[in-house]
Amino acid sequence: MKESLLDIVCCPVDKSELELEDAERDEGEVVDGRLVCTECGEAYPVEDGIPNLLPPDMREEA
Amino acid sequence: MTGENEVSDPGDADGTDDRDGDDIDDTRSTTRETLAQRRGLDEPVYQPAEDSGLLAEAGREHARGVVVEVGTGSGWVASEVTGAAAVERVVGTDVNPHACRRARQRGVEAVRADLLDPLRNDTVDTLLFNPPYLPTTPETEWDDWQERALSGGDTGRAVIEPFLRDAPRVLAADGRALLLVSSLTGFADVVEHAVDCGFHAETVVEESYPYETLSVLLLEL
Repeated sequence: MKESLLDIVCCPVDKSELELEDAERDEGEVVDGRLVCTECGEAYPVEDGIPNLLPPDMREEA
Repeated sequence: MTGENEVSDPGDADGTDDRDGDDIDDTRSTTRETLAQRRGLDEPVYQPAEDSGLLAEAGREHARGVVVEVGTGSGWVASEVTGAAAVERVVGTDVNPHACRRARQRGVEAVRADLLDPLRNDTVDTLLFNPPYLPTTPETEWDDWQERALSGGDTGRAVIEPFLRDAPRVLAADGRALLLVSSLTGFADVVEHAVDCGFHAETVVEESYPYETLSVLLLEL
């Protein structure tokens, strides 16, 4: 993901802003890390460049 | 979806075999067998078909600004729209992790998401959506990613309706949505629901096939 994706996405639960933490970058893209909700504190993983912004109760699927 | 695949890009041109998971049991219903023949049951990601081609055509003409393709699947439509003159940026979302990986391999910025849940208010200029729209009953449903890509519940509108309800929230001023609708889903019912959600609806592409008529609605607030 590009860091500018944060302009478009938010926490799926409470729609608050997300902050990027522990980011690993490769050629300008964030390939690993997590997106943390500034309101509820929920952390959403970024793996292989793809943020998983499913709400926590759906995250276990596949 | 519809019959033979007429889209020039079959979606798996890289020849990779990623039949990685998603157990498929043997209790196949007639519906499932028919769909399996049409779509290829081993592939956990919906492959571009006639509906994809029509949505891409509408997108190239009507998409602009920040574009989010919801349920991007293999990412084919998103990548087709990327080059359009009025388009700034294209993001593809899918609930299916295999689809997200496919889309990213195709060069699409991919996000794993349930419909519009993680999209900020007033940020998207154009939404594109080729939804799961086949009417199904609980007896004919099966639990794998292909089913999630195709089944629209008993009315065919189980996914379309929540999409339409949330779309006004994420769309920027003058935002628009391009929604593929099949006659199997009840064209008039979808239009009525869109109007109830505050949209003005106009058909911008339409094509008839032996089993269904496919339309793309341009929805504006």
